Formats: sequence, structure tokens, C-alpha cells
Amino acid sequence: MRAGLCAGLLMSALVACGENEPPAPSIVETYMADPAAVDRGEALFVGTCAGYCHSFERDNTDALYLFDCEWKHGDGDQDIFNTVIAGIPNTRMVGFGDNFPEGEADLWKIIAFLRTNQESCA
Amino acid sequence: MHKYVKKTLYWLIVPLLFGGLITACSDQTTDSVPPDAANSTDPGQAVADAEAAEPEVDAELMARQPTSHWINDRPIGDGDGPVTVEELASGTSNPERWLHYGGDYRNFRHSPVEALNPESIENLQVAWSFPTGTEGQFAMSPIVYDGIMYMATSYNHLMALDAQTGELFWRYDHPQPDDLRLCCGPANRGAAIHGDSIIMGTLDAHLLALDRLTGEILWDVEIEEYSHGFSSTAAPLIVKDMAIIGVGGGEYGVRGFFDAYNVNTGERVWRVYTIPGEGEPGNETWAGDSWQTGGAPTWSVGAFDASTNTVFWTTGNPAPDWNGDDRAGDNLYSDSLLAVDADTGELKWHFQFTPHDVWDYDGNTTIFLADIQFEGQERQALVQANRNGYFYMLDRVTGEYLHATQYVEQLNWATLDENGRPVPNPEAFPQTNPDYRVCPGLSGGMNGAWAGALNPDLGLAFIPVVENCMKFRKGISVYVQGQSFTGGGGIDTDASADTDYGHLSAIDINTGEIRWRYMDEDPLKAGVVSTQGGVVISGNQKGKIFGLDAETGEELWTFNAGGGIRSQPIVYQQNGETYLAVGAGDRSRTSAVPQGGQLFVFRLREGQY
Repeated sequence: MRAGLCAGLLMSALVACGENEPPAPSIVETYMADPAAVDRGEALFVGTCAGYCHSFERDNTDALYLFDCEWKHGDGDQDIFNTVIAGIPNTRMVGFGDNFPEGEADLWKIIAFLRTNQESCA
Repeated sequence: MHKYVKKTLYWLIVPLLFGGLITACSDQTTDSVPPDAANSTDPGQAVADAEAAEPEVDAELMARQPTSHWINDRPIGDGDGPVTVEELASGTSNPERWLHYGGDYRNFRHSPVEALNPESIENLQVAWSFPTGTEGQFAMSPIVYDGIMYMATSYNHLMALDAQTGELFWRYDHPQPDDLRLCCGPANRGAAIHGDSIIMGTLDAHLLALDRLTGEILWDVEIEEYSHGFSSTAAPLIVKDMAIIGVGGGEYGVRGFFDAYNVNTGERVWRVYTIPGEGEPGNETWAGDSWQTGGAPTWSVGAFDASTNTVFWTTGNPAPDWNGDDRAGDNLYSDSLLAVDADTGELKWHFQFTPHDVWDYDGNTTIFLADIQFEGQERQALVQANRNGYFYMLDRVTGEYLHATQYVEQLNWATLDENGRPVPNPEAFPQTNPDYRVCPGLSGGMNGAWAGALNPDLGLAFIPVVENCMKFRKGISVYVQGQSFTGGGGIDTDASADTDYGHLSAIDINTGEIRWRYMDEDPLKAGVVSTQGGVVISGNQKGKIFGLDAETGEELWTFNAGGGIRSQPIVYQQNGETYLAVGAGDRSRTSAVPQGGQLFVFRLREGQY
């Protein structure tokens, strides 16, 4: 009984201790802090996403604007990642699968570029 | 009595991008019937009322439009019978007909009608009008034959109308998938006619023939799998018993081609790939395997010279558009003119306007087969106001380069050497962070999405021009079949600064000199028609249809059509009366003007011509 109480207190202390530690940065946050990674994400976005499909401006064309806070298929980094990898059925958004030159890192860098330039979401 | 058979299908036709737009279209149902159809006394007509249950779809992804097929089985037309090869070769010589997108095999879009002239044009009045029921640019050139007008709309709705009254005879709405591979809107620029068939290419890369009197489908063939990046937006060119049609896909990394199909069966007669395969001459102009995804689409209309049995066709940009790093070389035959044997498709010669293009200067604007005076000699020439800003004159028999002149007001991307080969300005190449404003911009110059006209007596080509310079940005392009493959794009455009503009320019086809310009505050993006009477008619993006004096460019007449003009006007006569047909309706969402196409047909007021 006493041993169980001590173990419980210890666990609580550890949990409390963990709550005070900053969470490890995500891969996107890591890339956001790396200008070279953001630049590569931008270059990929410019060359692969922005020709006709996605726009840098709210320009009233068919090109959807991805720097606002409106995500139709999930606004988490992993949601965006999954959407780009798998695509969206019945749309022109064909999944990129494993075709990025530097693998998944390239896609995380694109997301880092988007996040870096994302409008403030109230 | 009208006799319609209603066949209804529900399909999902609006292409969407990465999440898509949400549009409610449920009010446009197939319950609406053409005029008089509801009065039919034949109960057997409203058969096949088999409206398929709508499949489950993600409402967030889809905009839905019902599609329909209304077949006619009453006698219509003037009894002219099937269109013959000889009639097709006669072009616009019979003013009651308009048989080709370009008016004739030379693409002159020049009507023999003298009644429509600088004195009479002010007497044009609306005779009838007709809606398309669709959004997107209304870009077509109508066909008129046997008293019937054939009107194709965006999203491939095709209608047969009485050319004098606008009465609807039949209608076919082509069912489309949701994920069309379009770069630039759901355009269709027209159908073609042969025998008793109306032939149309579709956004999902099919080619189909319909009975011109009933609207029934005669055959339907797949040109290529659309989901691999293909589409068809141009009017076919009918040559002998073949329908020749090209494809879009330059922004999707396709390997371009154009095909000839037997008009009676739909069987393919020949295919010309616009990028040579391994081992073929020209393949060495592509680094590595880049030829396999090199673009060179064929999305506009060619021309035909019966005297040499030559079909001329033009090609678009290499892919990816704005990053040529992985496709070192000239990238034949992108941005080129190809002359091929009409019967076999065998290549006779080529001329490349923009080798190793990194600006999206598709070489596919209107090609005119015109005889010109060059250095004191008459030459069988081919002239073209190319999207890259130069007006070219070539010998159409040999392909020899004769001369070129600048026809846009702003051009700095390249000069031309004595052979017509561009010498690019090093500053004009796309950059990661560009700071150089390049002219013309990516739309031109002129653009293959609309057609110029040519008055052979005046020796003038009438060319609608875009003046919209921009910086070109280069990025890293990743190829995935069916995905956009562009490598960059234009930024800091004159349009974004509202300093872009346009003009309709009259170009002397013998010298390339500009005879006059009709200026507009916006780029001009509509086709042109010319008349023997000496007027030129086109329209602007704000919906103004205008008529000009062909010799001077003086504005003689205008009409406010409401929607931006993107169509290709035609002039024709019926029972001695003169008509002008112009489609209005653009896809631009940059203004408050609602989308939606509307055809306006004007008639010269009686007694005024």
C-alpha cells in the first residue's frame, strides 16, 4: 500500500515535471527555423505547386490560396502532409507519393514554407 | 411539331483544385425543357427519362451540374444535304455558310459579305440571343450550314440553333469527370462539320461525332486518357475525310501529338508526336529522358494547303514551362510549326519559333496561309503573329524563314538573327528571385486561344494583342503523371499593377509594318472577323463588341454585351440578310461581372444595306 502510494506520487511528479518541459520541436518547426530548408520549400512550391494550381495572392483565379487559415482537408501539419502524399480523389490534386527528389523531407519543407508565410489565424 | 427525346444523365463536371470550390447548381435541372418541347403531342417523346441517381459525393469537393441530351427528330434545315469536301474547300465563298473555325483553310476569317461595311455597320441590331447555361469562357466560333448554327460552349455543351431565329433544335451536354486536367478554364473553341456530322473535341480528351440534324451521337473515341494530363479545347480541322485534332497538356508534362480520325468511323488514321521518340531526328534536342514529359501540346487549329497536300500544325510550350534545367537543348518540336503530309502525317519540314522556351511562348497562334510580296517576288507564305511578340513570314512550301518584325509594343526577351532564331536576353531568363520585367508576358503577345483575321485585298492581318509584362520565377518541378508540371510562373505582372493593356493591330502581311492600332485599356482576348465590305469586328474584356474600319482602325460601332468577349465572331447571311454572331462571357473573376455565356446575333436592319 505504502509502496503503491510512493509509486503514484513519483509518477505524478514525473508527469508534472514533463508538463513543464517544452515539447520537442516538430519537424516542421525545425525546418521553419532553418532558412535553407524554407528556401527549398519555397522553390518546390514555386516550381511544383504554384504554376496554375496554387497562388501566392488572393487573385480570384482558379488557383487556390494556401496561406490563409482555411484548410478543407485538415489544418494540421500531418493532415497537409497526408493530403499531398495521397491526393484528393476526383480532383486534379493527384498525390505526389514518394516522388519528391529528397523524399519526405521535401514535403515537410514545403509545409514549413507555408507555415512561415501563413497569415495570422485568429 | 417538335419531337424531342429526353435523355438525362447526371455527371459531375466542374474541375476542382486542391479542395475545390463549392457551388450549388441544383436549380439547373433537366426538368427545364427547350421551347415548345413541353407542347409536344407525342407522348413517346419524353422517353428515357432515366435520371440516374446521383452518386455519393463529397459535397465539399463537388460542384454539380446536370447534363442532358435533347435529340431532335423533326425535319430541320434548308435541305442542303451533307457537307461535301468541295464545299469545305470553298471556305467562306458562300456567305450563307461558315464551315471552319478559321473560316477557310487559310484561317483568314474573312467574310465575302460586302453589305457589312463602314456605312452600314451602325444599322446592326440584335436579332436574337441565346444563353449557354454554363460558366467559364465562352470561346467558340460557330458553324453555320443549311440554315443551322452549331454553337459549342464551355464544358462541351453543343447546340443546334436556327441561324435566323435562334430556335433550339437539339442539345448535347457532354458528361465530364470532376478531375479534368485543365490549366486555363473549361474552354471549347468550336466544333467542325463534315457530311452530316458535327464533330467536337472534349475536355476529357474525347472526339465525338453527332448527327447534324438529330443530335444523336454517331461515334465517340478517346483521344487519350485525360487523367494523364490531356484535354481537347480546339475545334477540329476537317481535311478530306479526316478530322484533325490536337491536345492540351503542356502544363502537365504530356508528350504532345495531333491526330487524324476518319470522320465516318472515328478510327484513327495517323498520329504525329510533336516530340521525336528515341532514335528519331530531334530527340537529341532533349536532355536525358526529358522528352517523355516534354509537353509540346497542340491545342489550337491548323491549316491546310491542298496544292501541296500539306497540313500545318503548331505546337506549344515545352514542359516544365519555366524551368528548362532538366531539358537542355532546343526541345524540338515545341513552340514550332510543323508541315506534314495530309494523308500520312509524315513530317515535311518544321520551323521552331522559340527554341528551349522558358517563358511559355506557345507557338500556336493563328497561322495564315497568305501569298505575299517579299523582296519583289510573290511568295506562297505562311504568316503568324507569334506569342513571343514577333510577326513571322515563312515560305509555306519550303519552310524557309523570310522575315520577322516586332508587332507588340513591348519586347525585350530576345532579338532574332538572320535565320529567325532568337538570341535571348540573358536577363530575361526565369530566376529564383527575379528582378527583371520581361516582355511579352506568358500570355503573349497574341495567344492561341483566340483567332486573328486577314483581309487579303488590304494585305492586313488583324491581331488582338496582350501587353502584360512580368517577371518570371523559377522553382523546382516534380513530375507526377497527371499533375501540374510547370517549374515556376509569372509574378509582379503588369496586370497586378493594373498597367496592362491591349490593342487590335493591323499588320501589313508583306512587310510586317503596323498600319494602325486600336487601343484598349485591357488586353484583348477575343477573336476577330473581317468582311469584304471593309470592317473588322472583335470585343474587349469589359463586354464591348466593336466594329472598326479595316483601313483605318476607326471605331464605327459598339455594343455592350455585358460579359467579357472571348469568342470568335462570325458573319453570315440567310435569305439575303446579313448577320453577325458574337459570344459574350468570360471566366475572369477579377471583376464584378457574373459569369455565364450569352450568344448575341445581330442583323443589319432591313433596307439599310
